[in-house]
Amino acid sequence: SLSLLLSYADTQRQLAGVTTVVIDEWHELLGSKRGALLELALARIRALAPGVCIQGLSATLANLDEALAALTGPHRGGRLVRGLMPRETVIDTVRPATLERFPWAGHLGLQQLQPVLEAIDGDGTTLVFTNTRSQAERWFEAILRARPDWLETTAMHHGSLDRDVRRRVEDGLRDRSLRRVVATSSLDLGVDFSPVDRVVQVGSPKGVARLLQRAGRSGHGPGRTSALLCVPTHALELLEAAAARRGIEAGRVEARRPLRHCLDVLAQHLVTLAAGGGFQPDAARVEVEDTAGFAGLADADWQWVLDFIRRGGQALKGYPEFRRVIDRGDGQFIVGERRILQRHRMAIGTITADAAMTVRFVRGGRLGTIEESFISRLRPGDVFLFGGRMLELARVRDLTAYVRLASKRTTAVPRWQGGRLPLSTELADGMRALLADYAANEPVPPELDTLRPILDLQQRWSALPVPGTLLAETVRSREGVHLFVYPFAGRSAHEGLAALVAWRLSRSARATLHTAVNDYGFEVVGRGLEPPTGHALHELLLPGDDLAGEIEACLNAGEMARRRFREIARVAGLVFQGYPGQGKSARQLQASSGLVYDVLVRHDPDNRLVGQAAREAFENELDGERLRAVSAAMAASRLVHCEPPRLTPLAFPLWAERVQHRVSSESWVERVQAMVERLERAAPGPSGES
Amino acid sequence: MPPQPLTVDCAGETLLLHPERALEWPARSTLFVADPHFGKDAHFRAAGIALPEGTLAEDLARLDIVLARTGATRLVILGDVVHARPLRAADWVDRVGVWRSRHADFEWLAVAGNHDTRFAPPADWRIDWRADPVVEAPFVFMHEPTRHPAGRVLAGHWHPVARLRQGRDSLRLPVFAFGPDAVVLPAFGGLTGGAPVDDPALHCYAAVEDRVIELPSAVTVPPATEYPRK
Repeated sequence: SLSLLLSYADTQRQLAGVTTVVIDEWHELLGSKRGALLELALARIRALAPGVCIQGLSATLANLDEALAALTGPHRGGRLVRGLMPRETVIDTVRPATLERFPWAGHLGLQQLQPVLEAIDGDGTTLVFTNTRSQAERWFEAILRARPDWLETTAMHHGSLDRDVRRRVEDGLRDRSLRRVVATSSLDLGVDFSPVDRVVQVGSPKGVARLLQRAGRSGHGPGRTSALLCVPTHALELLEAAAARRGIEAGRVEARRPLRHCLDVLAQHLVTLAAGGGFQPDAARVEVEDTAGFAGLADADWQWVLDFIRRGGQALKGYPEFRRVIDRGDGQFIVGERRILQRHRMAIGTITADAAMTVRFVRGGRLGTIEESFISRLRPGDVFLFGGRMLELARVRDLTAYVRLASKRTTAVPRWQGGRLPLSTELADGMRALLADYAANEPVPPELDTLRPILDLQQRWSALPVPGTLLAETVRSREGVHLFVYPFAGRSAHEGLAALVAWRLSRSARATLHTAVNDYGFEVVGRGLEPPTGHALHELLLPGDDLAGEIEACLNAGEMARRRFREIARVAGLVFQGYPGQGKSARQLQASSGLVYDVLVRHDPDNRLVGQAAREAFENELDGERLRAVSAAMAASRLVHCEPPRLTPLAFPLWAERVQHRVSSESWVERVQAMVERLERAAPGPSGES
Repeated sequence: MPPQPLTVDCAGETLLLHPERALEWPARSTLFVADPHFGKDAHFRAAGIALPEGTLAEDLARLDIVLARTGATRLVILGDVVHARPLRAADWVDRVGVWRSRHADFEWLAVAGNHDTRFAPPADWRIDWRADPVVEAPFVFMHEPTRHPAGRVLAGHWHPVARLRQGRDSLRLPVFAFGPDAVVLPAFGGLTGGAPVDDPALHCYAAVEDRVIELPSAVTVPPATEYPRK
């Protein structure tokens, strides 16, 4: 919303009188495009109000100096003020009595419901954190079904619920009329209420710092202990919880680095400046480079962005009729047209999610928002769980889904495409260190004792992925041949590695391969796939000299670039999502980002945003820095290659992953014909699932 | 290998489905396309969304190819000829006119679609512009597919796409969708999206690169199976 303010000339004038700017939760914004956009906005404020004092509030980070520099800009110093001595933090885990029914994969964890209910029973207030909104919905429903007497004192809080609903929950926490709240990270930021008595974390927290922050929500008074109860949802999360505890004890928290050179964010910000009174290119450039995110911007990149907002693309390229930012003639770049101003202001922001549909009762109020991709799959009469209620879809009109209360029960919960945080390096390293201790019969935390049957099985069929080794497994099944590799580098880095390995394999034989990733490793599977062994396998897994270039090449060829492009297209204004109550004219402007991507690739292949999709995917989404570090570690590791008889505990979660990507060197015709043949051979029925 | 059309029988007539997303009726030397949405990219550019040009040239070139292959003497567009009324005397309107003048020999007929309202084709297009369905037994040419008493409907509007899933593999393909009352053509325009057709009663033929491939009925994925239901 600061960017929205800057898009009005009047407001910019008023902002000249600002004396102080306070940024809360800076650690959260820092590594994201929101942070990049905020840095640009702060540079504008510094130009409008030169004496302004900028203050940031942040949780513990490993790189606080860098976080400070991102607030002040590269040319100014600042002061770091630390808070009170950190309190002691105690991490407990809910350990299943027996592993027999405990899943090796999955994210829900509802089989742990009973111990959680016992833990949150009694006096006092509790926060139950989940990692996804869907999980929050399922847990909230399960808790209330088990304990209907808790109805008045239990609530749910997540980002897709209507604002009023969320506010009431926050008020309830503040005045302690609510005893239990099931929430996602929506309750991490910007919500103030006094500490609760207990904090529960369902599923992996993904990082040491995050766990520390959440634990810090508990305990009253300075100096008291913070306590958190971890609830693992599958076996390996027990290991994560133990590693997180060790990480907290050793003070090994993560760093958050600012994103660099996001051209889509820059484009959006420049249009904002153009809308808010105009900008002069040379002066704007100096201002833009007064940020951590855009210092040292290349001339060619700056010029490209100017061309993009003025002409649609580079000069002399085919973008006739394009109108967005214009040169007023006196050197000022402005947005002249009201409709373009309107659309830009409507779309400002870098939070990218699928087009959101409002959910409201047929008669009555708003419940919140759900992504269009979920609603578009439902037919009237279908039931889903949302906002803690069973809802039946009545009809969809414009961007609104009308619902009524349903009498049937369902487990269908919307899926939101929220960014999935990867497991941090610190946590991943901690997990492997624990496995090394276990393998060496050193003393280990009780979580590993619980895991003993699974760890022993992994060792028997294959091996444990201890530091200094790179574990790979080859398994054969009806689906084809699977290659599993476990670098323990977090899902983002694994996306890049998996794409790379699949790309290389598909070059040597005409095949269609699928990849899946999680935080511990990746899988490549295909029919007729014959992965190499020994030294050749190690070569296959190791990036060459030009890691970035090779990944860019295989991302461009795969579906990943198209997926990455979705966010870039939205941020840069290449797709327009529309808004509620829009007229026909707005509907005529809707095109999917995939379509835009295809058209750009065909007719403007040098388009920076297309290249940016692959490059950004590497640097930001795939965590390029981490990928390089991981590659170096993999090169220095000893390859351990096993051929287990069945899917191992490490392999199973990858096999079960819902989201898979495809890399293919077959032609479209070959693929369609092959699929049609397989479908005809499979048992006839309304569903094509095997 | 040159692109291969697929022959099907429909309402007692022989029809040819071309991989360029056009349908041929050889007995009347007629070529049908639906939903070209000419000028869509210009419309976006004028609104500040930077789509490059080039789609129109591609679409017209594809029409040239199919016209040459079939030797059709009539081209029928089943609606949504344009995407929106051009905001000025847009350059693309003239370019279509130039293309038309290179093909003096064919008859050009169009049935107006929902995107065509408020568009008046210029004289140099020499196009016969109809607001109402055109009956030519055994077919009826329309934009939006509905049942028509006078015959089997040939229509567009849906931009039909079939979704196939088998194991881990999934595909989205533009299709000619044959139903009991109507035949719906895939969208011809290069800058058009598609809407999934999941009705197992439809018999679909997918346009894939240089072929048209018949899809087994009832293999498309009904949306409900995506999410678990108890």
